[in-house]
Formats: sequence, structure tokens, C-alpha cells
Amino acid sequence: MTARRTSKIQRALKAARDTGAYLADDKKTEIRVCAGTACHASGRVALRKAIDKALAERGLSDRVAVVETGCHGFCEEGPIAVVRPQGLFYPRLKPKDVDEIIETSVVSDGIVERLLYKDPATGDPVAHEADIPFYRLQQRVVLALNGKIDPYSIDDYFNHGGYTALAKVLDDGDPMGVIDEVEASGLRGRGGAGFPTGRKWRFCRGNPGDVHYVVCNADEGDPGAFMDRSVLEGNPHSVIEGMTIAAYAIGAQSGPVEGYVYVRHEYPFAVERLRAALAQARERGLLGGDILGSGFSFDIRINQGAGAFVCGESTALTASIEGHRGMPRGKHIRTVAHGLWGQPTNLNNVESYANVPWIINHGAEAFAARGTATSKGTKIFSLTGKVVNGGLIEVPMGATLRHVIFDIGGGMLPGREFKAVQLGGPSGGCLPASLLDDPIDFESLVAAGSMMGSGGMVVVDDSTCMLDFVKFFLKFTAEESCGKCVPCRVGSQRLLEILERISDGEGTLDDLDRLETLSDDIIEGSLCQLGGSAPNPVLSTIRYFREEIEAHITEHRCPARVCRPLIKYTIDPDACTGCHVCLGACPTQAISGERKQVHVIDQKLCIKCDTCRQVCKFDAIPVVDAQPALVEGRQQ
Amino acid sequence: MPRRDSTDTASEPRGSALYEVLKGIDFERRELVDKPRGVGLFDLVKDKGGSYKCYACTLCERTCPVDCIELDYCPEFEELPFDVEAERAAALATLPGESCGANAACVMGEKPAGYAPEIDMKKFDAVIAGIREGSGLVQALHSTQEAYGYLPRVALEDIAGEMHLPLSRIYGVASFYGQFRLVPVGKYVIDVCMGTACHVAGAPLVVEAFSQELEVPVGGTTPDGLFTLQTVNCVGACALAPVVRLGDDETIGRVGPNEARKLVRKLRKAEVPA
Repeated sequence: MTARRTSKIQRALKAARDTGAYLADDKKTEIRVCAGTACHASGRVALRKAIDKALAERGLSDRVAVVETGCHGFCEEGPIAVVRPQGLFYPRLKPKDVDEIIETSVVSDGIVERLLYKDPATGDPVAHEADIPFYRLQQRVVLALNGKIDPYSIDDYFNHGGYTALAKVLDDGDPMGVIDEVEASGLRGRGGAGFPTGRKWRFCRGNPGDVHYVVCNADEGDPGAFMDRSVLEGNPHSVIEGMTIAAYAIGAQSGPVEGYVYVRHEYPFAVERLRAALAQARERGLLGGDILGSGFSFDIRINQGAGAFVCGESTALTASIEGHRGMPRGKHIRTVAHGLWGQPTNLNNVESYANVPWIINHGAEAFAARGTATSKGTKIFSLTGKVVNGGLIEVPMGATLRHVIFDIGGGMLPGREFKAVQLGGPSGGCLPASLLDDPIDFESLVAAGSMMGSGGMVVVDDSTCMLDFVKFFLKFTAEESCGKCVPCRVGSQRLLEILERISDGEGTLDDLDRLETLSDDIIEGSLCQLGGSAPNPVLSTIRYFREEIEAHITEHRCPARVCRPLIKYTIDPDACTGCHVCLGACPTQAISGERKQVHVIDQKLCIKCDTCRQVCKFDAIPVVDAQPALVEGRQQ
Repeated sequence: MPRRDSTDTASEPRGSALYEVLKGIDFERRELVDKPRGVGLFDLVKDKGGSYKCYACTLCERTCPVDCIELDYCPEFEELPFDVEAERAAALATLPGESCGANAACVMGEKPAGYAPEIDMKKFDAVIAGIREGSGLVQALHSTQEAYGYLPRVALEDIAGEMHLPLSRIYGVASFYGQFRLVPVGKYVIDVCMGTACHVAGAPLVVEAFSQELEVPVGGTTPDGLFTLQTVNCVGACALAPVVRLGDDETIGRVGPNEARKLVRKLRKAEVPA
């Protein structure tokens, strides 16, 4: 009986795969253009048009396929194109470069050295993606297929072993076995809290209900984080497969299961590609009724968020799907027991689901081989801010911050010094240079006063004022607080006001104590993690950057020269050439001076908008402390 | 009051003044179904000054067990027929307690002309179809905004009817989420990304430059109806910070204050007929 069932499901998978017209051929000539959001913004549409035109002119349109892939992760270098089968990696392409590439690398078998990526350390050109340090030092599990497959093509996913994990699970017919496997792998929720995924599934399965819900949280609200978006844009089928496996593990043999993906409305490409992928999966019998002839039914609906950060919180998310204001409730009863429409609901992050097919295919042991004792597997970080190589980085848990920021991320921009790295979005904390050699895992980050969060990693250098940085996060949480709990709604506003007072140079040293006390109260008195973690940036900054904040208070000085009341713009008479550029750009006509004469800034008119400093080609507009006399007086 | 049986009413008067009063009242016990509850008209109470005490806190509506109270709201009520600030100041000066000062016009008042502009209802069929297929309220609002660029009042009333929800509940949801707009937007919608990476790269300066050049605050639309300035939490294109999104399709990276001003001037120039 088991043997017959086995072959039936495998036959169904083969049939689903063979329906496609596209056949795998690694030797085929192809140009793969990255169509991620960042590359889109840096001009991939024009690039694609130029490629199509160049191919048509040479009569190659039939022979050479142009495929738009998901995010390659190296967003700093966009738009990116890869010429296959050689695998030549061309970053920062302009439409005018296309002819040369087609002539050299597609028509003949050469390499356009001029356009290759240059290793910033050595200056040598690197031809293949795999040899670039940014990619070489990563271990890509979830992102393995990003940039290699066409997100609109289920066949591409099949050709890379897609849906074999689902077939295997349906074949075995053992939902508890799936849960055991995921639990043994040590996979923990990638959304930030790090709850063991397998255990959550077990709880959810154990709770009775009319229907079980499997929900994917793709409401990636953390500013500065975009890994969920990239996974959905680059490889939506992996999430669908992971969710279907979860649904089988949780709901099979116990009742109906329904799926939801809650995705941000700000991610139009992700929604579009996910929608296409769902349609394809349904068409091939991988979703819907009687999946692969196994008798198990499951379908997924898309629900779009509408720009509320708090909806990343599980209970707020379910409220939002139900059509209410996204306000969290107390979690004395968990969503696994009483979630969407009062039914047991399993809620995991995009990245967690995307890990599941890999675990099923390669086994729990292989997954647990990566990472640390408590945090297993790999984690994707979106490295942004003042680093050379921003983008998506997947490394095993336990890698050090230094490895991620300096070895893979290429370190700081030239002439700049590392100051802090902010992890975990508005709920996380800022870590200083002294903690760069700490391993990244759930526990060590919390111990350091930060948190894993969804994996946003923002690096700042000495040109960023930590006080201004914290003010940014507080402003964010104060605005995004849903308003239910008073400590969060009013407290975050008060924290912000104290910080603003300090940055205006009007703070006192008592304010620092007040910040700490108020922070503790907010953490204590909030229902959900938005309020419970909102003061984290404040606390971690006071812990590690106290001196910088004290400089604002005692010396009325902003060391990074960002806080406006404490700075002024001046013109360096030795460097100014009198070129009139700043004069023309100044929105308030605060700059005067004859051509070829040193210009002068009228401090009364200056609004400190930074335009003049940015347009000056000679670095002739230094920003100085507004009250240098006071500072000198203190130093004496 | 202790319950009395009919035998009490049959007994002789005891000379109590209270009894005289009670004599006219029928204490006969009856089943409730025979005597339906008298549902009168709800009215709002006025204070001594003649103003309504109600300041539309929505509590009555939210607590009503049978959803029989429905508050009206006025998002497109741009030009109020009275000076709200002056009314409020006058109300606070003369009356104890809180009052919005608008005499609860949102609930009771006459609706001025142009209060709910006509919309092309053909575009609305898709929204209704979506609701019937089981899409939730948030999705219905999304598709309405997709069709009209904002959430027109008439459309929300129809959604309320279709979903059997009070309009205020829909308004509550629409005003909770940052992306829904209750007033029409300009031809060019400028979204400045305020994500962390954009912030450290100088996004606040960019917003300020846009705001100065357009002479509108964040969230505002220029009087000529050309530009709407908004901020968005993160568009996820952090490598290109600071990022500005123009409309739904165009994303522009590495925008400084100077580029921002130039962009506005360029778009303005394109609008002026040569």
C-alpha cells in the first residue's frame, strides 16, 4: 500500500514538472538580469530594453534568452547582469555598455574586462560571481537560488530540485515525523524572537480548532531590512513549499488548513511575483485540493498590509487580516491556540518557511551542523548604511560582526571610521566597535543589549550622531505605536522629547537618568514587543555612547556635527575658489560673494540644510561647532 | 423596589402619599413579548449654553450591542462652515468639560455642498466583487484606493453597506493604517523613504528640501493639485539611500536636497505648457 502511494505522488510530481515547456540546459546562452527593487531603481528597465534591442539587431533574439531574476543581493553594484553559461558577472551596467558585452561575451567567448567587478582590496577584476569576496565568504542556503532562477517560472524552480521536499513529506505520510525533523534541526523563528519553529508547530497541531491557519509574516516593517522581500521576489516558490509542508505537518489528519501570506503593500514586486507563483503552483496541482494526489488540501491567500509597523506583531497581524485596526492583544493566550478568527494559528516568518524545504531535503543534522550551540543554520542580514558593499548577506549563525561588516561587507567607506552597528531595527540596539568580535546569535545579541530582529544591520560611521540616530528610532516607534498601552503611546513620546531637548543643547545630566527610568517603565508596561523593545535603542546608546550624549549636555557640542542648534556652516577661505555653485544652490540666498572671490554665509539666513556642503567640489564648507568659544573656554 | 403582586394592588389604600402616586400605575406582571420595549428617538442632550454635549467620542457606538448607533464622519470636509479653532476656544472659555466646539456637526449638522463628491462607480464593481469573494476589509480598502487614488466617502459607505459594518468602523481602519488616504492626492506623489539607511544618508534633509520647494508640509498636496509629499517607512532599496519614490513605478536613488529641488523644478517645468 505504502509503496503504491509513494510512486503515485512521485509520478504526480513528475507529471507536474513535465507539463512545462522549459527544459533545463546549463549550456544554453542566457543573460540573467537582476530585477530586484534596488536594481530596478538603478535602471534595469533601460538595461533590459538595451539588451533586447542589441539582440534583435544581431538576430539573436531566438537563440539567447533574457531572464529576469530575483535579487542577487549585491545591491550596491546594481544593475547587475550575468551572462551564462560562462557565468560572467557584470555590475553597474549602463545601456551603452550592452553592445560591447553582447559582441564579446555572447557572440564570441570573451570577457569585457573594463566592466567587470573590481576587488576593492586588490583592484583586480573578478569575472565570476562565485569569486567575488562578497559572495565567496557567504554560505547561501535560503538565498541559494536567488538570482539563479526566474521567479516567474515554476519550471526553473523544478529544475533546481523544487517541490521534492513537499513530495517527500507527502510520500512519508507522517506529519509528526516532519515536526520532529524540524525540531531536531534547531530552526528558530527568523522574525526576531527566535522561538523554536518545530515546537511552535507541535503546539499548534495540538490545539483543537475547526480549522488550522498557517500564516506567513512578510510584513517586514523594520526600516533597513529587506531580506524577506528579496526571498519573495527572488524565490517565491520556496516559501510556498515551506508553508505547504508546515500546513501538512500541522493540519494533516486533523482537519482543514488554510494559508495566508501577510505581505507589505510597499513591496509591489514581491506581491506580483508571489501571486504569479501561487497561480502556477495551483495550475500544477501543488496547491489547492488533493495536492499531488495525496488527498491533502491546502491553499494560500495573499493579504496585504497597509503601512503599520505594529502589524509585524502576531496578534496585530491577525487582527489586520480580520479587517480590524492592527492592535495587539495580551498574549496570555498564544496565537497557536487562539489566533486568526479564534482558531489555532501558526505564524512564521518568510525566512523560516524558506528554510523548511532545505531541512527536509538535506536532513536536520546537515542544518544543525551550521551555527552555534543554541542558534542553528544560517541567517540573512541586510547590510546597509555606510559600508562599501551593502546588500544581502547570508552567513552561519555565530559569525562575528567583524566578519560580516569588514570581510564580506568590505568595511567602511574610504576615510571613515566605524562607529556603531545597529541591529534589529527600531527594537534593537546600537553596538560599538568593542563588540565587533562577538558572535551573532540570538542569545549574545540580547546580552549585548540588542536583538537579532529580522536581520537589518545598519552600519554608521563617525559622521553620524548617535543621539540623532536614536531620535530617529524613537520618532519611528512613537509614530507607529498603536496607542493601546499608555506607557508606550505617551512614554515613547516623552522619551523623544527628552532626546530632542538634549540635541538642542538644553538637556541636563538628570535627563539621562530620566531616560533610563522611563525606558524601564515602558518595557514593563507594554503589552506587545513594539513597546517592550522601543526603548532598546535608547538604553544601548546610553550604555555604549554615553560620552557622546554627555558632550551635547555639558559642552553644548555635537561631536559628529549633526544636531542643528549646535553647529554652523562656514566657508574655508583657503579652499573656496569662488565658483558660485553653492551660491546658486542655496535655497535661502544665505551665501553671497563675487565670482572668484571667497564666499560668505550669512548665519542669520542659513537654515543648515547641508545643500552647499554637498554641492561644493572643493570641500570648502566645513561644519563647525556653533559655540567654539564656549568649548575652548572649557578646555582651558 | 420590592416586587409587588397583583394582590397588593387589590388591597385597600393605606393613606400613604406614595400609594396615591402608585395607584395609577399598572403593576400587573406580563411577559415582555406582549409589551415591546419602547424605542424612542435618540437625541443628543444640549447644555445650558445650547451646545451639544456630545463630542463624538464614539463610545456609544462601540458599546451598543446591536450596532444600532452609527456615527457619521467628515474626512472631505475641507472647508468647514465655521471656524473650528474659534468655536473650540469659545466653548472652552464658557463651558466646563470638553467639547469639540463644532456642535457635533459631524453627527447632526447639515452637510455642505461638495461634501461627498461624485465618483465613477464603474470602477467600484471590482471592489464589491472582491468583497463577495471573501477579501477582508483592508483588501477592499486597498482596491478602492487603487481605483480612485484615495478613499472617497461614497465608496466607503458602499463598502459599509456591502460588509454590514458601521461606517465609523471602516473609518477607524482606514485612519489606522498609514497608507490609506481620505483626500485626493496630486498628480505626482512623492514618497521619501525614511528608513534607517536613508536616515543616516540624510533623508530628513531631503524631506525638508521637498517641503520647502513645494511649500507644503509632509502629507500635504500643493494647491495646484500637482504634488503630494509623503514619507514611507522603508522601500527596501537601502543600497541606494536616500531613496525617493515617484508615483508607484519610479524609484530614484541617491537623492540629496539639491537633487530634490531640481526634481520638483523639472516636473513643474514639464507641466507648464510651452
